[in-house]
Amino acid sequence: MDHAAPKSIGNSSQLTELSIVELKTLYAAKSLSPVDVTEATLKRIEDVDANLHSFITVTSDAARTAAKESEARYRAGTPIGPFDGIPFALKDNVETAGIRSTSHSKLLFDNVPTEDAHVAARLKAAGGILIGKTSTFEFALGGPSWDLPFPPALNPWDTKHLPGGSSSGSGAAVAARLVPAAIGTDTGGSVRWPAAVCGIAGLKPTYGRISRRGVHPNTFSHDHCGPMTRTVADCAVMLGAAAGYDAYDPGSIDEPVPDYGAALTGSVAGLRIGLVTNWYREDAAPEVTAAVDAAIAVLKGLGAHVAEIKLSPLSNYIDAKTTISLSELYAIHEKDLKERPEDFGYLLRTRVMAGGLIRAEDYVQAMRWRTELATEMMAEFRRFDVLATAGWLTPAEPADPDGVDFFKKRQVVTMPFSLAGIPALSVPCGFSPGGLPLAFQIAGRPFDEATVLKAGDAYQRVTDWHTRKPPIA
Amino acid sequence: MTRKSASREDIAVLARVAGLDFAPKYFDELVEAYRNIEPMLWRLRQGRSRADEPAHVYDPRKFMPKD
Repeated sequence: MDHAAPKSIGNSSQLTELSIVELKTLYAAKSLSPVDVTEATLKRIEDVDANLHSFITVTSDAARTAAKESEARYRAGTPIGPFDGIPFALKDNVETAGIRSTSHSKLLFDNVPTEDAHVAARLKAAGGILIGKTSTFEFALGGPSWDLPFPPALNPWDTKHLPGGSSSGSGAAVAARLVPAAIGTDTGGSVRWPAAVCGIAGLKPTYGRISRRGVHPNTFSHDHCGPMTRTVADCAVMLGAAAGYDAYDPGSIDEPVPDYGAALTGSVAGLRIGLVTNWYREDAAPEVTAAVDAAIAVLKGLGAHVAEIKLSPLSNYIDAKTTISLSELYAIHEKDLKERPEDFGYLLRTRVMAGGLIRAEDYVQAMRWRTELATEMMAEFRRFDVLATAGWLTPAEPADPDGVDFFKKRQVVTMPFSLAGIPALSVPCGFSPGGLPLAFQIAGRPFDEATVLKAGDAYQRVTDWHTRKPPIA
Repeated sequence: MTRKSASREDIAVLARVAGLDFAPKYFDELVEAYRNIEPMLWRLRQGRSRADEPAHVYDPRKFMPKD
């Protein structure tokens, strides 16, 4: 699908259909104003979000001001770059100056930061128009929960289902055409899971690629921010705006930010793909397996070389990462847990409690296991350019307040790439018989987001899963 | 090796060492939580070579004053 072709634009609902790439093309041609797009975006949220609960806060006034400034830059022929004038949302664990940032928690119900997180500041500096803050699992971990100050987001493909998590509001909002772009955070899959079950693109970049400063921590050693958009090409634009070294984030890595858009050549001829089969063929829903294998066949048909491989069992990555996460989580929340346990949602509280009983030596052993597992995975990049596997092993889960389960036994197929800290992209690749989206993942070498995006974009140029609209849209 | 699950009394000791002094309602939640992670910890506690490094790097340059 040619993602640069402008559509006929007649009304405000059509404006919210436009991708980032289409918007910037139309802005540059002076055929469209960021002011009109922002108004259409705000109207759509007003019309639709009462059914989705994807936003906790909508920043209408600030958005209108930013839109006028962007419009002036385009009129003057001096746009800042490709993200100028693009409406976007931030997950509510990303701090925003003067705007309440709750992490969907009673603990931070009145938290109004004085400074923007680095990623928020970068996107605003790139000309992006902040539309609001999206719902999440509590502190990006405890969810889905019905005992928090805000309701959980719902899936626009079927509001009887959930949009995954923890970047649940970001996934639902992008899929429902409320915004063309959102930032999620991903510690074990929290960008890619909602992307997969909402039918959008979601990228967890390399650890250290986007600053975590000003983002409420979940697990310091695994926390990432990442773009969530409807197309892979849009992910490339948003990543280019968000990425960059931050000397104040100890995890930030000083690597040049390439022109990700330039990498999208449409060609995967000769690309070597290692398809990790044991992470999904044994446990995934049959429709997931069929969709992933069909997606890989498409890439093969475009000239990629595919070989099936097996890596350590998924459970090894999950055990190591969960031990690390719970330990770090307890260190973050210990004071509040002891002083005001009643202010936590049940799911977060029980996870934090569990972390308090993990021994220091278990944490270190888990970090040693991380080394072993990551080293095993990285060795595969001697013979492959990217690895691929399922995006999530099931379609979206039902929204069931009675089904809340401590440590629900999910086979978290996103977690291996979290543990390795490498870039991983979720790409829509089909639908379940019930009409819910399915996805596959592409992961690459550290800081080689360009190759990952190139492969995902090449797939989207010859498929149309990403163009389908949920009923609510 | 046969593993024996921690009893409520064992968990109470762990909680006391961690400084967690919960009301009974939350202690029940803690027992439930520990029952969920205990098998994971058993799997984690495997033999490793002495020189196996944790996935942790400390770069002292990151903590220098910025100005």
